[in-house]
Amino acid sequence: MNPNPPDNPQASVPDLEQLLCRRDIWRGGSHRLAPSPTRDTGYSGLNAQLLGGGWPSSNLVEVCQQGFVQSEWLLLSPALTDTQGLIVLLNPPCVPFAQALIKAGIDLERVLVVESSNKADFLFSFIELTRANACEVVLAWQPAQSLNYTELRKCQLAATGGQGLYVLFRPAAVAEQSSPASLRLTISLQAQDLQVRIFKQKGELGALAQPVLLPLPHNWQGFAPHHLLDQTGKPKSNVVHLRPQRGGRRGRK
Amino acid sequence: MSQRTASYSGRLWLALRLPDLPANALAIDLYHDAPLVIIEQRYVVWANTIAVAKGVMRGMDASTAQLLSGCVHQERQLSFEQSLLAELSAQLYAFTPYIETYTSKQVPQSGLLLEISSCLMLFGGARAFVEKIVQFFAAKNVTLAIGLAHSAQAAWLLSFVHYDIHGAESKPVFVERLQQLPIQLLHDYPAQVDALEKTGFVTFGDIARQIAAQSISSIKKRFGHEFAQTLCDIFGIDQDFQQSSLFEKPVVMYKPQEFFSEEIQFEYPINQVDQLQAPVENLLQQLADFLRKRQWETHQIEWTLADIYHSKEVMSVYADTAQSHWQLFFDLTLIQLENRDLPFEVDTLALSCRNAQPIQTQSQLLAFDSRRKHNGQAFTTTAAKLKARMGDTCIYKLSYRDSYIPEDSNQRIALNQSSNQQLPDRHLAALRPSWLFKSPIEIEVRQRGLYWRGYLTLLAGPERLQGNWWKAPSARDYFLAQRNDYVRLWVFRDLHKKQWYVQGIYG
Repeated sequence: MNPNPPDNPQASVPDLEQLLCRRDIWRGGSHRLAPSPTRDTGYSGLNAQLLGGGWPSSNLVEVCQQGFVQSEWLLLSPALTDTQGLIVLLNPPCVPFAQALIKAGIDLERVLVVESSNKADFLFSFIELTRANACEVVLAWQPAQSLNYTELRKCQLAATGGQGLYVLFRPAAVAEQSSPASLRLTISLQAQDLQVRIFKQKGELGALAQPVLLPLPHNWQGFAPHHLLDQTGKPKSNVVHLRPQRGGRRGRK
Repeated sequence: MSQRTASYSGRLWLALRLPDLPANALAIDLYHDAPLVIIEQRYVVWANTIAVAKGVMRGMDASTAQLLSGCVHQERQLSFEQSLLAELSAQLYAFTPYIETYTSKQVPQSGLLLEISSCLMLFGGARAFVEKIVQFFAAKNVTLAIGLAHSAQAAWLLSFVHYDIHGAESKPVFVERLQQLPIQLLHDYPAQVDALEKTGFVTFGDIARQIAAQSISSIKKRFGHEFAQTLCDIFGIDQDFQQSSLFEKPVVMYKPQEFFSEEIQFEYPINQVDQLQAPVENLLQQLADFLRKRQWETHQIEWTLADIYHSKEVMSVYADTAQSHWQLFFDLTLIQLENRDLPFEVDTLALSCRNAQPIQTQSQLLAFDSRRKHNGQAFTTTAAKLKARMGDTCIYKLSYRDSYIPEDSNQRIALNQSSNQQLPDRHLAALRPSWLFKSPIEIEVRQRGLYWRGYLTLLAGPERLQGNWWKAPSARDYFLAQRNDYVRLWVFRDLHKKQWYVQGIYG
């Protein structure tokens, strides 16, 4: 028992209305959340599925995907082109190709790459980057050692303290595991589209029924298969047999 | 025109000429038993006694000196000489607060000029003072030539001739001694000395007689104001003023180099890093206060941990950009402390900073894009912390470099460099993957087709990239390929090696 009870116990207990004004109170199926800043995804279909109409800022967004890289830039580049702050890639599995970023309209001066060799360094870097106001977008790839719930919780808490967009890419296998991220989705490539399935969203109970299909760039479709181009001859092998020209400019005869 | 010799102003200058300074600065043994010379721009500026005995002279060509004496030569290090002069000045500050450094621009002669009139009483007269100075330099093994006179310039000239110092000398004695000296000692005025010699002047006495016969204005008219002023300073001539003391040039007071050094002694020994946080913060705040008051900043600080048995451990903390605030150094210090155990129970924590610099002298890149500049400044602290923990190479930017080979065109650059974003038209028109492998990975060619973690189908291409013929000829046909899980890859066939490779992923 408290030896020094307060004079007015009612004064220290917040009422329900005050509690409901807080952004960190989950109200189940109700969408009546306090408005939080979001960032346009660049895809109207995806905006419609996301509460607030875009990527949530100051929150951890977890993207689960098959393989080690798939379509991160396709998913996020529309939201990245109009950023004013830094875009930091933490622990990317490959090197971003400068030519492609320039073509996509992303300012290379704002793109930084941070490489961490182990999980402790990854967490340290992630937390420091979320604290830096200059970092408007942090795209992080989970290190080789999988992050446990406590470590993900640290990332989520750090993201809550920042003002930017914080996306963590993880393998599809962990989608079934519990995670404190406020938005979780899986992405998978189809023949014509990128399929995005939101399976956890803060303020929304239950997985969304319909996945969102984002069209692939038309120049990714290529041309009709080589053997289909030949309407008169016999079917040919898929392997293209090239006849290299001898030498280069100097070796030509 | 009124002209008179100024009354004895009461100043007394001691010139300390260091004839072997080039050798002292290089820590060369003056009594080495082999010929040694120091050269500057292929000419001898210093030679030891053995080399001199073999005919080597100052100003001689280095190869001639080597032929004459078979000497070993070293390059003169002016920066070392300046450092040694600064070090000696700091130590002579214990004798007098008026110290000037002199280095001739024409000949390799340097030294220190001390105004000693105000400290004669303390040391018991000029003779006792000079004896102490001589002992001081003898202990340091630095060769010294001394000159005493009423002005700095006169003292410097008199240092070329040895006179015993009694302490009772007065200005007329100094002027008389000066009159015996040859005018070639005016090393900094070679053109004027040459002209004077052609006119028949040999000693300072000749000049003094000329000034007495006519006036200093004739010399000023012919040789310029600066040279005339130097002669006035040498002879102690006051040109125009009735009350010369009002217009006397004040002696510049020597300002010793300041640095920060503070320590905290604990009441009980500390054996945990966490307990050091508060004292670290306290000392750093003192440092920030010190820097702020002087408008300074620093790249480096140094911590010294000590125990009661006088064991010491030194830890240096560096910042990428110079700081005048304490927060970044605090974070970097904690990062370093986290990665180590305390070597002993710490009794004393000391912080020193010896390399501070004025804030005004820093140079900054012109950044016309204010947003970029703001981002750069705001990220400096974070970048420094990341580098302190994971190394300098952990964080980088990307830039385009013009090259025929894609992996060579992707350049990693440091944060303070600017990215090249000028992409040639040939790349702008082509399809490029978002991810690039550090080096191309070989693709297996199976019966059913190309295979890399799944079967590949070529969708578009080829785009031929060839060149680099001057180094290692390269010819590649690039294709957009689709794997059976719909991942798009950037593959190429090397036309020289006749091998397929995957180089990038469209993401």
